[in-house]
Amino acid sequence: MFRKETMEMIEQELRAKVKALLKEGKVKLVLGYQKGSLPFNATPTIVEDEASAERLIFDFSCGPGLAKYLLRKNIHSPGQKTGIIAKGCDARAVIQYIAEKQLRREDIVIIGVPCQGVIDPNRVRKKIPDKEIVGYAIDGDKFIIRLRDDSVVSLNREEVIARACLRCVYPDALDADIFITQPRKDVEHVNRYNEIMEFEKMGSDERWNYFENEFSRCIRCYACRNACPMCYCEECFVDKTDPQWFGKGTGLSDTMLFHIVRILHVTGRCLDCGLCERVCPMSIDLGLLNGKMNKEVKERFNYIPGLDPERPPALATFDEGDRQEFIL
Amino acid sequence: MSKILKLEKSKLDGLIQFLNKRYELFGPKEINGQIEFARINPGDELRLDFLNTVKSPKDIFFAQTQPILHYKDNSVKEPALKHKPVAIFALHPCDAQAMKVLDKVFTQGKYLDPYWDGRYRDSLIFSIGCNTPATTCFCNCTGLGPFSKAGADIFLTDIGDSLILEACSEKGIYFFKIAEDVAWKEPDDDDLKKAEQIKEAAQLLLSEKFQAQDIKSILEKSWDNPVWDEISNRCLSCGLCSYLCPTCHCFDIQDEKLPGTEQGVRIRIWDSCMFSLFTREASGHNPRPSIAARFRQRVMHKFNYLIDDFGVLGCVGCGRCVQRCPVNVDIREILKGFLNGKG
Ligand code: SF4
Ligand code: SF4
Ligand code: SF4
Ligand code: SF4
Ligand code: SF4
Repeated sequence: MFRKETMEMIEQELRAKVKALLKEGKVKLVLGYQKGSLPFNATPTIVEDEASAERLIFDFSCGPGLAKYLLRKNIHSPGQKTGIIAKGCDARAVIQYIAEKQLRREDIVIIGVPCQGVIDPNRVRKKIPDKEIVGYAIDGDKFIIRLRDDSVVSLNREEVIARACLRCVYPDALDADIFITQPRKDVEHVNRYNEIMEFEKMGSDERWNYFENEFSRCIRCYACRNACPMCYCEECFVDKTDPQWFGKGTGLSDTMLFHIVRILHVTGRCLDCGLCERVCPMSIDLGLLNGKMNKEVKERFNYIPGLDPERPPALATFDEGDRQEFIL
Repeated sequence: MSKILKLEKSKLDGLIQFLNKRYELFGPKEINGQIEFARINPGDELRLDFLNTVKSPKDIFFAQTQPILHYKDNSVKEPALKHKPVAIFALHPCDAQAMKVLDKVFTQGKYLDPYWDGRYRDSLIFSIGCNTPATTCFCNCTGLGPFSKAGADIFLTDIGDSLILEACSEKGIYFFKIAEDVAWKEPDDDDLKKAEQIKEAAQLLLSEKFQAQDIKSILEKSWDNPVWDEISNRCLSCGLCSYLCPTCHCFDIQDEKLPGTEQGVRIRIWDSCMFSLFTREASGHNPRPSIAARFRQRVMHKFNYLIDDFGVLGCVGCGRCVQRCPVNVDIREILKGFLNGKG
């Protein structure tokens, strides 16, 4: 069942609080969302004055990540106070950036919003293929999807909300400086690794074939990498040219190697925010690979990224007690 | 032989079989839950009811990874370009025009691209009118429309249990001649009236009203417009929009050597002006150092430079970039902004 507060209440309070922050000079700008041009897609926006705060929204269409914009020098620089409307995963990205010494805590004002998950437009499109969707409404725990011919389709939360959100354990922004309305607190503790455990039961050939089939569709647009909050290297390994490290064609081995190395680079840092999977135009199951690595990191190092700004990333430290049975 | 024929959908198989024998045939079919253009083999289910494919069909003619030559020690071998002619069944009109745009770029400029030319020149394009355009479609703003015949050899209209086929080019007329064994029928007045009604209804579904060609003169004065910064603050500088776009055609050439040998391959691969690497020079200098500069290039190329160079708009209004941009950068909004004086 969805929370009773209406979206209007959230938006009202959000706008009022952001205006107050700007008025009191507590922040120079706030990263947030404004209504997008499609029913399921809000678009990021930067609010620098009180009047512009009127365009801020927060609802199920707020899928894009905002944290990564904090690393752009023309948007945020050390010493500047910047506010960010934060879903749980955005706040965890901020915390991870602090742990990785990319941001200073005192520069950032985390404005938590009661996140109930975001819509994954691809999932809805697959449920209602080749019909034009013009809007949606919430009715109890259902999404009522409105089509162009004015007919409606009622879908369950599980069919609409992004996979990563369905298994999210931290929807309330951690360490929020301000919280809009109330934190959810009522999260059911789903076993976020259920899907992974099912996958682990498959034989190795079967698993390999599955990934081959997924990655054979990759067009190397790098939307996954560019959307990922943890892919922030100034120069990505795959863009190195002197010498060039990677083949750039769409042959399966080059494509898979790109994904395997990218995953290794975010292992122990991945927030399981699901952005990579959501933005992929080819609907490639990126969440499975990340999920497997997250599970490994949790089991081996008892580490979940984005929770503790004091604790360095799992793979950036060494502990004598680390399991190392894989070293021959 | 008449220029307009009718084919009952139950007899479509005969046409597909005929095409399959003579052509390398592509058409819309479902792959992993998405409809894409792919090779059609006998027995495959053709999907004519799709809104728009995620990927454009351009890779049928302009492969994302195209081997140019193979080398080993001192010998060089170019891949043979011979193949069966390509036929594509049920391209939407925007995509058919996009192939024409690409044809200009690859064959009418200073150089003739043999890989493109070898596949497109003798191809047979069946366009299909869009009975239900998507809400992201704006082909009416790019000089086309959901029933535009530009770029079609044969134009299809889906009138329910039958297709109306109209030959629009010499190649199309010739095809009707050779395909005389297909179970064609003569359309009657009712059929043609129905087709006309479907077309009119479809046009009403397109809601955008602007004309993209009017933007050129505004863009010429908009090099320093702050709007580029506003967009670039959101844009992720990924390659999604260019790689899904049916008219984007930038490419890179790479040599890939098998380590430890004197053997390798030279490939031509898609590239995108949205990647920072695209303009980075050997010295390390990058003339388009910012996302704003790159995004401006993308818009200028489509709505300004291509008109100068080839007399065509570089956007056909298919809406793919609108539909899939991860941060909802909507080209229609940007164009309307320019027209409404934001530019
Ligand atoms: S890898 Fe994917 S799930 Fe993990 S942080 Fe990056 S975008 Fe999020
Ligand atoms: S977003 Fe999808 S298609 Fe693009 S590079 Fe990533 S996995 Fe490949
Ligand atoms: S406009 Fe959208 S799809 Fe295109 S590069 Fe920017 S973020 Fe990627
Ligand atoms: S720019 Fe966008 S709308 Fe225009 S042709 Fe390319 S993908 Fe389609
Ligand atoms: S843009 Fe026009 S031609 Fe293309 S799919 Fe939409 S309605 Fe059809």
